[in-house]
Amino acid sequence: MMCEDCGIRPAKFHLMTIINGDRVERNLCPTCMAKHQKQLPGIDFSNLAGILNSILEDKSAEEKARQDAQFEGYVCEQCGMTYLEFQKCGMLGCAHCYEAFRAPMTALLQRVHGNTQHAGRVPGGVHSGTSIRMNIDRLRQKLKKAVADEEYEQAAKLRDAIRALTIQLERKETDIKVKPPERLENDSAREANEDV
Amino acid sequence: MYEYVLAPEQDVVISSRVRLSRNYEDLPFSPKLTPEYSEEVIERTADAVFKTENGAAFTMLRMSELEEDARSRLVEHHLISYDLLKYVNRSAAMVSSAGTVTVMLNEEDHVRFQGLLPGLQLERSAEMAYKLDEAMEARYPFAFDHQWGYLTACPANTGTGMRASVILHLPAISGGGQTGAVMQTVAKLGLTIRGLYGEGSEAQGDLYQLSNQATLGRSEEDVIRALSAATNQIVEHERSMRENAEKKDMLQLQDRLMRSWGELMYARLMTAKEFMRRYSDIRYAASMGYLHAPLPGLDMLMMDVQPGSLGVRAGKLISPRESEILRARLLREELQALVAE
Repeated sequence: MMCEDCGIRPAKFHLMTIINGDRVERNLCPTCMAKHQKQLPGIDFSNLAGILNSILEDKSAEEKARQDAQFEGYVCEQCGMTYLEFQKCGMLGCAHCYEAFRAPMTALLQRVHGNTQHAGRVPGGVHSGTSIRMNIDRLRQKLKKAVADEEYEQAAKLRDAIRALTIQLERKETDIKVKPPERLENDSAREANEDV
Repeated sequence: MYEYVLAPEQDVVISSRVRLSRNYEDLPFSPKLTPEYSEEVIERTADAVFKTENGAAFTMLRMSELEEDARSRLVEHHLISYDLLKYVNRSAAMVSSAGTVTVMLNEEDHVRFQGLLPGLQLERSAEMAYKLDEAMEARYPFAFDHQWGYLTACPANTGTGMRASVILHLPAISGGGQTGAVMQTVAKLGLTIRGLYGEGSEAQGDLYQLSNQATLGRSEEDVIRALSAATNQIVEHERSMRENAEKKDMLQLQDRLMRSWGELMYARLMTAKEFMRRYSDIRYAASMGYLHAPLPGLDMLMMDVQPGSLGVRAGKLISPRESEILRARLLREELQALVAE
């Protein structure tokens, strides 16, 4: 079972709190448990958690070693963060970590969010290269499904749409090559870039 | 009877907040952020924010340069997160003069934009955050993946990087022992609710915070719509519980609530904890029309008498007892002024 707070680390504690007479129960990992304990007034649980944790760690040492081995190869060449390090601190070292840990990260994001496809705002709005690229990706997935389901008419339509978007994207990228997006020093340069 | 302007659903919703988390794509994230890089985050963000249309309205506050009370005051007024103080050596905040927009720097993520408005105004709060986001990304690109959206230090925020929340005053629901039922209902909608103050064991002042959980797979608009809809339902529920309490025994309800007014008007020592209980009562009374005090004024006063804010007002480090004396005095003066307006 995974921690209900962070969804990243396995749950090892069961926390029951009574808020104004109502019982709330949660399964938490040691890190999140420590956070909750800090919020409980008066009693210092921090040491107790440490002791309990070490017992639990000991018990599952074998299992832990097996899990660790599974993630051993994952290292971000950009910042040096390993997947095991990430599991301990819960935070990534740089943007490239996401790429370096792509396979385990996909599973993790699915667990935490119940989804792995961004559906919100993109840099530069709907006409940006990013937005077009995301649309192409989405259509490609649909195309794959259409082909698998032998819906060839639908597949042909999707292929045309992908082609149109790809051309649009290529145009956009050649435009950018002509005007490289340098770090902008003043507002007029920024406005000029926004027109692109 | 005098009139004052209320924000939407302000009888139950104290405020709405939207936070967007962003990271510069070329700088290391929180665990690998060196002092040089965190300085670069501050420089870049200041450069971009000060050059926006309303840039002149922002003040840069470096946490390392503030006294402890001044930092606490910012947390108590919801201008910064408590977590920003975990990184006092490197963290900073840019606060707008109206206090409605804040940019947090070098917290868990490089940049966190926040829009904060009274009452239920999530869309408008989000608009304020988007505006800054757009102005910033035109200058310095943020880490973004075409499948996973905005990349954040903690994968729990990946995607939109958006955390939207409302602060709710629910004296009738919690007095009626229905908090548990509400909690279970919102959990099914992918939302979480928790006590705002005195977390873990109690919800002081009957104040709760309702917010979205997941950030990947749903658009900002969708999430805000769902959160607003859930809030509206809770508001309706709270209002009907208040009406029921009044129908059941109005005199008893008035007696119970107005006794707190008496305590606040005449007490000479007031702890923060007792104050929160009394505040909940008089806010409830004001929303029912038993007490003619403006809700926005009461909410502002509630933040002003929290420990850090009191310390700032005193202008020096004060003992717990001095704090109780000052709180009681301030309440007497300010509450009198509020009802006289």
